Amino acid sequence: MDGQLPGRDPQGEDWKIGVDIGGTFMDFCALEANSGRIASLKVLTTPDDPGAELRTGLDLLAEREGLDAAAVSRFVHGTTVGINTIIQRKGARLAMFTNAGFEDVIELARLRMPDMYSLFCHRPDPLVPRDMIFGLPMRMRADGRRSDAPEGAVAKAVAQARAAGAEGVIVSLLHAWRDPAQEIAVREEIEALAPDLFVFTSSEVWPVIREYERSSTAILNGYVHPRVAGYLEALEARLTAQGVPARAMLTKSNGGVMTAGEGRRDCVSMLLSGTASGVIGAAWLARQAGEGRLLTLDIGGTSADFALIIDGEVQFGSDELVGEFPLHIPSVSVSSIGIGGGSIASVDEHGVLRVGPESAGSVPGPACYGRGGTRATVTDAMAVCGWLGHSEMAYGQLDMNVDRAREAVGDLAAQLGRGVEETAQAILDIAISEMFVEVEKLSSRAGVDLRDFALMPFGGGGPMLGAFLARELGMPRVVAPRRPGVVSALGGLVADLKGDFIRTVFADLDAARLPVLREHFKALADEGRDWLSAQGHDGAIELRLSGDMRYAGQSYEIEVALEPEWLSDLDRLTDAFHETHRRIYDFHDAEGRIEVVNLRLSAVGAGPKPDLAELARVEAGDSREVQVHIGGWRPVPLYPRAALAAGAVFDGPAIVAQEDTTFAIPAGTSARVDGHLNIHLQFED
Amino acid sequence: MFDKMTLQVLANHARAAAENMAHTLHRTAHSAFVKETQDFTVMLMDRTGDTFAVPMELGATWYPGLTYGRAIDMVDDYRPGDVAFTNDPYSGHVATHAPDTHLWKPVFADDEIVAWTGGHIHNTDMGGAVPASLSRSLTEIHQEGLRFPPMKLVREGVFDEQIMQIMSTNVRKPALNIGDIKALVGALNTGERKVHAMIERFGKQGFVSGVAALKAQAEAQARAILSEIPDGDYVFADYADEDSDEANPCRLKLTLKIRGDEAILDFTGSDPQLASSLNVPSGGDPRHTILLVGVYYVLYTLNPRILLNTGLTQPFTCIAPEGTVLNPVAPAAVGMRSLTCARLRSVIFGAFVQAVPDRMPAAPAGNNCIVNVMTRDERSQRTVIAAVNPVVGGGGGMPHRDGTNGSGADAAYLKNTPIEITETEVPVEFVKYGLARDTGGAGRWRGGLATEMAFRVFTPDSRITARNRDRSFFRPWGTDGGRAAGLADMVVNPGTPDERRMGSKDTAILQPGDVLEVRSAGGGGRGNPAEREPWRVARDVARGYVSAEAAERDYGVILKDGAVDEAATKAARAAMPAPSEAFFHYGPEREGYEARWTDEAYDRLTEILAGLPIHWRFFTKTEIFRRLDGTGAAAVEAAFEATCARFPELPRPQAFAEAAE
Repeated sequence: MDGQLPGRDPQGEDWKIGVDIGGTFMDFCALEANSGRIASLKVLTTPDDPGAELRTGLDLLAEREGLDAAAVSRFVHGTTVGINTIIQRKGARLAMFTNAGFEDVIELARLRMPDMYSLFCHRPDPLVPRDMIFGLPMRMRADGRRSDAPEGAVAKAVAQARAAGAEGVIVSLLHAWRDPAQEIAVREEIEALAPDLFVFTSSEVWPVIREYERSSTAILNGYVHPRVAGYLEALEARLTAQGVPARAMLTKSNGGVMTAGEGRRDCVSMLLSGTASGVIGAAWLARQAGEGRLLTLDIGGTSADFALIIDGEVQFGSDELVGEFPLHIPSVSVSSIGIGGGSIASVDEHGVLRVGPESAGSVPGPACYGRGGTRATVTDAMAVCGWLGHSEMAYGQLDMNVDRAREAVGDLAAQLGRGVEETAQAILDIAISEMFVEVEKLSSRAGVDLRDFALMPFGGGGPMLGAFLARELGMPRVVAPRRPGVVSALGGLVADLKGDFIRTVFADLDAARLPVLREHFKALADEGRDWLSAQGHDGAIELRLSGDMRYAGQSYEIEVALEPEWLSDLDRLTDAFHETHRRIYDFHDAEGRIEVVNLRLSAVGAGPKPDLAELARVEAGDSREVQVHIGGWRPVPLYPRAALAAGAVFDGPAIVAQEDTTFAIPAGTSARVDGHLNIHLQFED
Repeated sequence: MFDKMTLQVLANHARAAAENMAHTLHRTAHSAFVKETQDFTVMLMDRTGDTFAVPMELGATWYPGLTYGRAIDMVDDYRPGDVAFTNDPYSGHVATHAPDTHLWKPVFADDEIVAWTGGHIHNTDMGGAVPASLSRSLTEIHQEGLRFPPMKLVREGVFDEQIMQIMSTNVRKPALNIGDIKALVGALNTGERKVHAMIERFGKQGFVSGVAALKAQAEAQARAILSEIPDGDYVFADYADEDSDEANPCRLKLTLKIRGDEAILDFTGSDPQLASSLNVPSGGDPRHTILLVGVYYVLYTLNPRILLNTGLTQPFTCIAPEGTVLNPVAPAAVGMRSLTCARLRSVIFGAFVQAVPDRMPAAPAGNNCIVNVMTRDERSQRTVIAAVNPVVGGGGGMPHRDGTNGSGADAAYLKNTPIEITETEVPVEFVKYGLARDTGGAGRWRGGLATEMAFRVFTPDSRITARNRDRSFFRPWGTDGGRAAGLADMVVNPGTPDERRMGSKDTAILQPGDVLEVRSAGGGGRGNPAEREPWRVARDVARGYVSAEAAERDYGVILKDGAVDEAATKAARAAMPAPSEAFFHYGPEREGYEARWTDEAYDRLTEILAGLPIHWRFFTKTEIFRRLDGTGAAAVEAAFEATCARFPELPRPQAFAEAAE
C-alpha cells in the first residue's frame, strides 16, 4: 500500500512514523525507508491538550531530522485512550439487552475470583450495572430453534433504557455465536426506535461461544466507543492539519495495525495496543539481532511487563486483562506485575523488608527525582548503589539527586539497623525476586526452559534491572536494543495489518463435518480479504487459519495452526491436533474424540520490513570511571551509549548511559555491540 | 540464622517453585477435576515434612498447613528418584478421603534429605460402591474405594507397575487416574529441580535455615494477629441440616480460647461420628490442616501479607475427641467430608467474629453445591454425565462493603461452566441462571445474594445429584444487628401444579419436560438494616436484589416511583422495633430448633454419648432424637432412659456405671 499513497515523492524521502503514548511521554520512532535511517524522540504528554504533543513531535522531527510531513507514507499510532477510559471508569452509560432469566451473567462472570484466601474477595463492579440490563422474553436453543420477543418487548426496553440515560445499547443473546439473526433483529428495532443510541451486538464484536466472554467483550467495546471515536477523529484532523497525507493507522492488541476509521467501531481491538506493539517491536529487534527465543522485559514506573517470543513468534492468548476485566479477543500475551522503578520499599513489623505494591508513580516519583517523593523506591536503591545519577536522564527532563535517594533509603536502613548501601542492595534483590516469581509462572505455563532464552529489556527501567533479573533466572544472555525507550513506537512502525475473524463450529471432528469446515473457511477468508481491502491494502495477502480444538470432556481449547487444504484431510487435521496437544500438555490421546470449537483466521497484509544495513566496525569510544557499590564500593567504567560503536567489546561491571535509560551491567559478564548497535551481554559461568 | 531483611527473596523463590509445580500439574493433568475444578494442591516441605510454600493462584485452599511427617515415616529407605503415595484417610492422616491421592518425593543434597516436594490430586473415581466414590449414604470406608497405605509408587525413577495395575483394575476411569498421577509426579520433579536451584542460589545451609525462617515468620505473623485479639472464650455452634439418611441435624461446636498469642480450638460438644460419609478424619492431630482451613481464611483476611505455611498453625491447638465427627475412628466413612468442612469453617468464622467483630464478615452462604446430571442424548443415543454448574451463595456482609453476590468468601475458588457450552454438550435447557432476589441477609451491609439455577430435561429418568447441598434449614447467620440470609432450596417444577419441594435431598429423578430449580443460601447481613443508607436500598430495588416489600419490611425504606420517599422512610424507620441485643441472628428455624435442643440439652447429650463405646454413639443419638419429647437436658435424659429401656443391650455410659458402683 505504501506505493499508492498520494503525497509520496518517489524520488525523494519516504518517512514512516510510529508513535506510542505512555504515562509521561509520547514516543516517536521515524524511519526514512530509502536510507534506513531511524530517528527517535520523546515528548512530554500534554493531558490538557491531547494531540498537541503530536504537533510538537512532528515539528521536532522536521527540525532535527529534516522530516517533510508530506513525505510521510505511514503513520501508526498507539494510544491508551481506550484502556484509560476503562481504568478511570469514564466510559459511556450503557444498557444491555439480553435474555430474560440471564440478566446476571455479567455480574456472576465465571465465579472464580482472585485472592481466594480472603473472606473479603469480590469481583469488580460491572461496567453495566444490573439496573441497566434488560431481559427480553426470547430464546435461541443450542440447536438453533428460536422463540422471538413478543411485539413491544424491545420498544419497552428501549424506553426504559432511554429513561435511565443510556447512550448506547449492547445486545447480547444466548447462542448468538451460532446464528446472529435474533441479535440483528433486536438491533434493527432499536435503531429504528432510537437512532441516537449506538448499538453493538455481541456477534458482530466477537462471535465466539461462551456468553460471559462474548458479552463482556461487546461491553468493553461499547464502553470505550464514544471516547475512542472522538479521539480518533481529532487525531485525523490534527494529522491533516500538519500536512501528513498518510491515513492514520492504529496498533492493535493482536500486534497488528488497522486504520483509525476501523478503530472507531472496532474499539476493543486496540485496548492493549501499547503492550502488544512493545512485544512486536522487540520481536523485530530480536530478528535483527539473531535471537529466536526471547523473554521481553518492559519496566516502567509502576509495573513490569513480560512476554515470551518463541522461535521468532510472538505468543497470543485470549484472556489478557484490561484493568480489572478479562479481554477475550486474541491479544499478544503479556504478563504484568506491579513492581517498577517507582515501587516503594518498606519494613514490616517483623523486620522484614518489602517492595511494593505501593508505587510513587511518576508523581511524586522516586525521591532522587526531586519532585517531592520522600519514600525509598527501587530507582532510589539503584541510585544509592551508584548505578544511576552520573549523566543526564530522560532527555534532560529529569535531575537526579543521589543525596535524596540516600536520605530515603537511609530511613529504612535506620529501622533495620543496617548500612545504607546494604539496604539498597536488599531492596534491589527483593524487587528482582518479585519479578522472578512472575516470570517463573509465565515460563511454566508455557512449558519452556528459560536457560534457552535471551532477555531483552526495554522501557525506561528494563535495562536498569534486566541483567540482574536474567542472572536470577539463570538466563545466559541479555540483549539491550539501541533505543530501549521507543520499542513500542518501533513496533507500530513495523507491524503488519492484521484482522482476526472467528466462527464457532462446536462439533465433533469427523469426515461428515469437513464440508461445513470448508464453508466456514471460505466465509472467513472472504471476510479477511474484505477487511484488508477496507484498510486500503492491495498488496500480498496472508491468511492464517487455525482451529480451537479439544478432546471431548475438556473445557478449554488449544489453538492449532492449520493449512486450508487440511480441511479435506481428516487424518492431517487429527494429527495436527494431537501434535499440538502433546507439545503444550506433554501428552495426547490417540483414541480421544476431538471437538472443533472455533475456526479462526488472521488476515495479514505485510507492513514495512526495513532491512537495515549493519554498521561498519569501529573501536569503542571513551569511558570514564564512576563508583558503584557491588559488595563494596569499586570503580566501574561508564560508557555513553553514543560512544559504543559496532564491534565494541567490554566486560562487566559497567554502566551504559543514554538519554532515555541506563543499562546496568553486573560483574561476571562480557558485552559486545553488534552491527545494529544492540548490546549483547553474556554471563560467564 | 537466615538474614531476615532479605527473607522475602527466599519467600519469593519458594513461592515461584510452588507456582511452577502448580502450573506444570495444571498444564499436564488429564481429568476435569484437576484441570477445571482445580481440586489439587502442591507444596514444598522441609526435611520433617512440614509445608513451607504453596501456590497462591491455582489449586484448592486447604493444605498450606499440611504436614506429611507421619506418612513419610511409614515408608523406609528413601532414595533419590523415589516417590511415595497414599490415599488412605486412616494411615498417616494426610489423605482426607479416598479420591484424594497424595504423593511426596525426597529432595537430596549431599546424600541427605533436605526437603520434600508433595501434593494431591482428586481422582475422578477410586472404585467402591458408587461412581466417583462419593455418596453421603455410605457408612464405612471400605465402600468408598480402593485404599493404599503409604508406600513407594516410584522407585528410583521407575513406576511400580503392580501398583498401577491394581489401581487400573479397581477404578472406573483408570486412564484419568494414571494420567493425573503422572502429571503430579512431573510436578514433583519440577519442584525438586527448583529446590536444587534454590540450594545453589542460597547454599545448603542458607536454604535449610531460610526454610526454618519462613516457618518462623509465618508463626510470628499468626502470633501477632492473635495478640491483637482480646483474650477470652468465644463459643459458637452451627449445624449441617442432616447427619445421614436419618436426617437429624449434625452439630459442630467450638470453644475458641484466645490466650495471648495462642489459641485453643476445642470442638468438644460436636456430634459423635456419623453413620454416613460426613465424617472429617483429622486423626486427632491438634494441628491437622483440615480442622484449620477456616483459620487460614481468618488469618489471611486479617493480614493479607501472611505467609501460608505450617508455621502459622503452631499457635493453634485443636481438641477433637476421638469418636466424634471431627475425629472418627476407622472404618467410619469420610467421602463427603467437604459438606461438614464447610460447616466447620462457619463455626470457626462464628467464633472469630465474636472476638474481632469489626474485622470479620457475617456468615457466607456455606453450601458449595455441585450439580451433576446423568441423562440421555436423543440425538447421539449416548448417555451423558456432566457437571452442570456449582450453585454457591454469596459472601457475608463485610465491615465496609456488601457481601459478594453469588459466590465469594470461602467459595471463591469455584468456577462455573458457560450455559452455551452446557446446552450444546448436554441435552438440558436452562430456564434461569442468576441471582435470587431477597436472599441476602438484611443489614447495614447486605449479605451477598444466592444463586438460582433452573433447567429442563427431555429424557425419562434423568438423574440429578446436587452434592454438598446444605443450608436448607439452618440459615447463614447475620451479625451485629444484621439478619440471617435466605435458605437454600431445590424444587421440581416450581410454580406449577406438579411442584415438588425436595427439602435437604441431594438427588432427584426427572421426567421429560421437568424443570429442576436449585437455589443456594445467601450470605448473612452485617449491622442494623435500619442504618443502611436509603439510597443503597433504593439501588438494590432498582437492581432487583431486594423487592420493594422487603425494602419496607426489612429496611424501613419506602419507595415512590423508584425514589426514596424521605418522609415516609423516616416514619417507617422510627416505627421499626429496636434491633435485638443479640450479636447473632439465626432465623426462626434455628431459634425454634434450639428452643428444644438447648445448650444444656446438647451438653447432656454429649456427656451421655461420650460415655458410650464409639460404635453405639450414633445409634443412640438417633434413638434419642426419635424419642425426644419436651425441651432441655431433662428431656434428653428421659429420651435416653426410654432408649435404654427399649435396648437393654445398650451399655450404660461409664459415668452411670461408676455411679451405680
